[in-house]
Amino acid sequence: MKYRKVTDNENIISFKKLDTRTFKLLQPIDNEAVVIMTRKLAKNAGFQLTDEVMIATAASELATNILRYAQQGEITVTIIQINDTHQTGIEIYAQDQGPGIRDLQMAMKDNYSTSKMSLGMGLPSVERIMDEFEIESELGHGTRVLTRKWC
Amino acid sequence: MNNHDFELQGQILNQIPTTVIAVDKDFKIIYANIAAAKMTGVKSQEDLLGKHCYDFSHNKQCRTPECCVFKAMEDGKMHSTRGQTSFSDGSIVYIEQSSAALIDNNGNIIGGLEFVLDVTQRVLDEERLAEQSYTIREMSTPTIKLWEGVLLLPVVGVIDSDRAQHMMDSMLNKILETSSRVIILDIHGVASVDTAVANHIIKITKATRLMGCECLLSGISASVAQTIVQLGIEMGSIKTTSTLSDALEEALAIINLEVISKK
Repeated sequence: MKYRKVTDNENIISFKKLDTRTFKLLQPIDNEAVVIMTRKLAKNAGFQLTDEVMIATAASELATNILRYAQQGEITVTIIQINDTHQTGIEIYAQDQGPGIRDLQMAMKDNYSTSKMSLGMGLPSVERIMDEFEIESELGHGTRVLTRKWC
Repeated sequence: MNNHDFELQGQILNQIPTTVIAVDKDFKIIYANIAAAKMTGVKSQEDLLGKHCYDFSHNKQCRTPECCVFKAMEDGKMHSTRGQTSFSDGSIVYIEQSSAALIDNNGNIIGGLEFVLDVTQRVLDEERLAEQSYTIREMSTPTIKLWEGVLLLPVVGVIDSDRAQHMMDSMLNKILETSSRVIILDIHGVASVDTAVANHIIKITKATRLMGCECLLSGISASVAQTIVQLGIEMGSIKTTSTLSDALEEALAIINLEVISKK
């Protein structure tokens, strides 16, 4: 199942990757490295402080989801640049081999969660913060989230 | 393939600093390299030949269906395991063992291959790292008595559910101990406030309020404030301030104290 949101930048075809980091998520403390490095990469990409914090928060949401539902997975954060305009941005790619999401449409709504312990705001928040957002999930096979924000 | 090639292959296998053992279907050793002899503590490779592999090294999986050589011989795939292994000379090491099936020219599985790495140092390093992160965690949730009736908990780093639970315990115990009326939770040093962290904070403030202690949230920077708005979390019921000194002023007001400058 797939859910996709792409904004004005839909026409962007070619961009290159400038700097990339991959984080393995195995235990809760691994979240820290994701947040700190994402902030650093966002800063290097040229984002303002507020956007920097927001992008790191989005990465943290995705990391929290992986650790909470799939127990382990991977997050790759990349500085990207459009070839023509040299506009830079950040791409976050999160993947896991966890249980998958049963209902993506519901998962993308505010205040919906399968866990009693959480607010159910994680995924919609990531969608709000980022410009492009794509999530793909298969029951029993895991979830992949690809998301970008441009400067 | 000529003799020279065979000789070279033998030399390569013997000089690999990794234990390589081949066993037949009864787990009798049909080949062992020099590293295998060294690891098991026998004089030469020949001493191992024809004997059972489990006579020389023993771990929990030995002679059970969990043994990775057994599994490899069953399905022909590669299997690996990690754990403590004791050798016949009494030494105990942490090993990482990978096994594959030994297949003859006709494609039949005739035995198993084992390659073993000594990872004792790595395991010890990992244990030390885990201990250190635990220590840091313990240190990073101190509840400080700021004034009679006022507590402060500065939070640095990342809040996950373990730590949130730890913070909650620490705060509630201290509130009970000191009969405090106000507690300031300073999140200035928190790396990111995501929905999970916000949820933990909301729960902590609810719990403290149940104990008759107002919880003030301080250290909310401009960017964190905007992020919380963007996340869409309702934190309206929590008293928040941007700086710690504002929170202190508020706290003192709650316990009916006032700071007056000396005349």
